[in-house]
Amino acid sequence: MERADLHGLAEAGACAVGAAAIEFHNVDLSYSGKPILAGLSLAVGKGEIVCVIGPSGCGKTTALRVAGGLIKPDSGSVKVGGKPVTGPRRDVAIVFQDYGKALLPWRTAAGNVSLALEAAGTPARQRKERIHALLEKVGLHGHADKYPTEMSGGMQQRLQIARCLAQEPSVLLMDEPFGALDAMTRQTLQDEMLSIAAETGATVFFVTHDLEEAIYLGDRVIGLLPNPGRIGTIAKVTLPRPRNQLETREMAEFLRLRRALFDFIGKAEG
Amino acid sequence: MNGRRVLWLAGSFLVAAGFVWIWQWIADHRLISPVFLPGPDRAWAALVKGMTDGDLTEKLFATIRRMIYGWLLASLVGIALGAAIGTSKALREYLAPMFEFLRPLPASAIIPVAIALLGLSDPMALAVIAFGSLWPVLLATIHGFSAVEPRLYEVGRALRLSRPAVIFKIALPSASPDILAGMRLGLTVALILSVVCEMLAGRDGLGNWILLSARSFRAPDLYAGVILLGVLGYVSSMAIAAVEHRLLIWRGRAR
Ligand SMILES: Nc1ncnc2c1ncn2[C@@H]1O[C@H](COP(=O)(O)OP(=O)(O)O)[C@@H](O)[C@H]1O
Ligand SMILES: [Mg+2]
Repeated sequence: MERADLHGLAEAGACAVGAAAIEFHNVDLSYSGKPILAGLSLAVGKGEIVCVIGPSGCGKTTALRVAGGLIKPDSGSVKVGGKPVTGPRRDVAIVFQDYGKALLPWRTAAGNVSLALEAAGTPARQRKERIHALLEKVGLHGHADKYPTEMSGGMQQRLQIARCLAQEPSVLLMDEPFGALDAMTRQTLQDEMLSIAAETGATVFFVTHDLEEAIYLGDRVIGLLPNPGRIGTIAKVTLPRPRNQLETREMAEFLRLRRALFDFIGKAEG
Repeated sequence: MNGRRVLWLAGSFLVAAGFVWIWQWIADHRLISPVFLPGPDRAWAALVKGMTDGDLTEKLFATIRRMIYGWLLASLVGIALGAAIGTSKALREYLAPMFEFLRPLPASAIIPVAIALLGLSDPMALAVIAFGSLWPVLLATIHGFSAVEPRLYEVGRALRLSRPAVIFKIALPSASPDILAGMRLGLTVALILSVVCEMLAGRDGLGNWILLSARSFRAPDLYAGVILLGVLGYVSSMAIAAVEHRLLIWRGRAR
């Protein structure tokens, strides 16, 4: 595992994968005087999958929301696709953890996907076909007329992902998207997420509290330290792709990373 | 499932039939003087006669019109105001104490004020009805709008929905169960106040019909009017329940 000063890390990230899709530069943010993020610098390459771990309350969600333009940092800058983030953007999609709250319960699956298309001004005639294709992509064909309350948690999260994909995002920000799902469903969705990312070439900023999930999905795993939130470790994941739920998780490198990150979290929490 | 529903319907029909039978029995045995309590047969006859020969149908429609106009006015104002107040924390905090003062005020208490301002006129009746049925709609709408899931607003921001789109695609549908419940209550209040205004201000309608019948000891006519009022209340609440059922179909469907 590498440890270096923050600027060094940012540059290392940037050179490793070419032009950066997401760049945090010296981001500071505090809530009522309490620093939440301090000097956060990080560059995520185009098409890279970066997973962020860290003890609860260390600022993972806050960092994601800053990248999504939902909150402004007190100082420092965030760029997505080379352009400064001034607010939410259509090419940046956010997948919230609480899919139950993020879906419109009065709209069917098709209607929920439609919301993103309506927001983008897609003509009504073209929506139906797009919705069909998007639902198909996340494995929800045949469920277009179901209401969210009629769906399982896994299906609801698939639906939220479909709505995000309707934005045709170049960057996907995912905040513990599979945290509330059972283990089997979680693994299925992990693999679906990886194939969608590979297919669309989207950059993924993935927050999770599950170390194994972070290693399994990521090109890099960023470990945050709490109070104030800052980068404590960056682990490069060299496991081969496509990844496999059984084989990947049994590889020596996987186990080595798991141990290293486990130690990191133990120290960060202690 | 369906069998149970049929059983329920049959049960409630039996209860109603039993009630009418007891009424008839009391009237037949003159337990209460027929001057005050005619049997259902005579009330029914008066109802049929009033609606065919007399102007009872006209009175019914006058009351319906009054009720609907007042209710629609109250709903429009209530939803618009409620949306503004419900989405603004500051407004809510400023206005809440005033609402707490005004809400328990019975709407009939403002009738003298309304009469002083507008006279014994139809606009007076409309104002009183609208004022009275405004409260349930307004308070329910405020509650509905202030209880919109914050995450949904964030989804709206993330998708860059316009402000009108946020209101009409997120806030309004989310508040709709509360709004409809408020409107259902408002309709009942509107009916009550229509009758009260007609009685107090002598405006044309069922209320006036009932009052005049009572004064001239035409008990069967009085009961015909009361029966019509009951039917009107029942039908209007059934109608709004049907609308609720259609609009809120997503709530009934659970996994
Ligand atoms: N809107 C807010 N107001 C005040 N404090 C907040 C707010 N949002 C988050 N925080 C605080 O910021 C810290 C980081 O929160 P968060 O980014 O949600 O952590 P994580 O996602 O890593 O669990 C927490 O201590 C939390 O209490
Ligand atoms: Mg979080």
